[in-house]
Amino acid sequence: MHIMEGFLPHPWWEIWYIISIVIVSYGIYRISKVTKEIPEAKPLLALMGAFIFVLSALKLPSVTGSCSHPTGSGLSAVIFGPAITSVLSMIVLLFQALLLAHGGLTTLGANTFSMGIIGPLVAYGIWIISKKVQLQSSAGVFFAVAFGDLFTYVTTSAQLALVFPTEAGFFDSFLKFSAIFAITQIPLAIGEGILAIFLFDFLAKYKGQLLAMMKVINLPITIHNQRRKNNEN
Amino acid sequence: MRSYTSYDNLCAKIDKIAYTNALAKSSPVTKILFALSSLVLNVSTPSPLIPIIVFLINTILLIRFANVPSKFYLNLLAYPTIIVAISSLIIAMFFGQGEALIEIVLPWFRWTVFKNGVTMGITTFLRVEGALSCLYFLVLTTSITDIFITLRKAHIPKILIEMSLLIYRYIFVFLEVEAQMNIAQKLRLGHSNWKRRIRSLALLSGNLFIRTLEQGERTFLAMNARGYNGSIRTLDDLPQPKLVHLFGIVLFNFILIFLTFFTMNLLIM
Repeated sequence: MHIMEGFLPHPWWEIWYIISIVIVSYGIYRISKVTKEIPEAKPLLALMGAFIFVLSALKLPSVTGSCSHPTGSGLSAVIFGPAITSVLSMIVLLFQALLLAHGGLTTLGANTFSMGIIGPLVAYGIWIISKKVQLQSSAGVFFAVAFGDLFTYVTTSAQLALVFPTEAGFFDSFLKFSAIFAITQIPLAIGEGILAIFLFDFLAKYKGQLLAMMKVINLPITIHNQRRKNNEN
Repeated sequence: MRSYTSYDNLCAKIDKIAYTNALAKSSPVTKILFALSSLVLNVSTPSPLIPIIVFLINTILLIRFANVPSKFYLNLLAYPTIIVAISSLIIAMFFGQGEALIEIVLPWFRWTVFKNGVTMGITTFLRVEGALSCLYFLVLTTSITDIFITLRKAHIPKILIEMSLLIYRYIFVFLEVEAQMNIAQKLRLGHSNWKRRIRSLALLSGNLFIRTLEQGERTFLAMNARGYNGSIRTLDDLPQPKLVHLFGIVLFNFILIFLTFFTMNLLIM
């Protein structure tokens, strides 16, 4: 799933650390600003992090027979936005290394970049576009989460290809890695997308108001929900 | 209330060992410094010998001095080892460039194994094994709270540490809830086919999310009632690092760096 501890050699793990830390520090700035304005957001955000961890510990049945797990960061990006998600993902990845020995400390930067930055950015971008074109919310969530998941793996393939080029160069190696990942990841991304639709509908149905209350954290959902309510009225 | 399954999982087992091993009471600064310095050297070195030394030393420390059950340690190591062995084999056979080691030419297909690809495969395998042993040393001897209290002293942003401590607490609360709901769903045939499993999983995650939100509100109320003003303070009565240990770590690192210069070109064919 994640790049394993020690898989990336000398110059690369530092490079990904530097890139990730720049973006995560912006996320930390955003979080401290939000929690200063609304102190009750802090336990809420922390609990969201725990939720992502538990979600990623769940086994998702996949079509190919192998069991893998949802990343959870796509849905978090839809709800909280990509900046905050990057911080939460970094913490969750650290806990996955420390509590599950899954992923690693030197590869934390690279994994944060793929799962916590590129994936959520893609998911958030698609979610915004789907709102602009007034797509149904379930379709929007599906595409956002599925493509967020896929782009996480495209990024991972690129990171691996940079380290292990083939004779034909970076691009050939990138295609090889993507092809290996695609076998398991395309069904998995679709599975996670379907899961996210159910999850999102469930939340809108039972906790729509609570989600609206979180407007303070700049919830994209809120606008969506209000528009839906107005339509119903 | 405790369910039977939640404490069976890997997460809880690693956590338990981290609190109960024989090195749990020694200074976390020493343990973190040792694990991280050997990890960085292990990952940065081009020499194939350093990862082997690091792996052996960590394994001896874990099994002999920390009294970690060797069966548990080997089980933990087995799964990543299989994966990395397969990936290293693929890298050795299909990746690399430059001078060829073996070349098989068939009329429709040409397959070359490059010298540089084989070197890459072997060093990757050794590097990952060495790095895994460093990670396991840290994970199995040092508890999460000790790690974060030490990180706070190292001036990592406060908000990050507090969030991490809160997340750590709630991971276990939710694993418990998740295990209970999972049993309930299984008893009601919620996992009998693929479609039902997806639906059950979604219901479970949705309910978990709602519990998350409600728990968040309650936590905030409880914290406020105890005079929460935006920062969580914890007592740190951690043992001080011993000078002998710190000196030992520096010496060990110097030996590794020294050996690197001699064994750098060992694998380049």
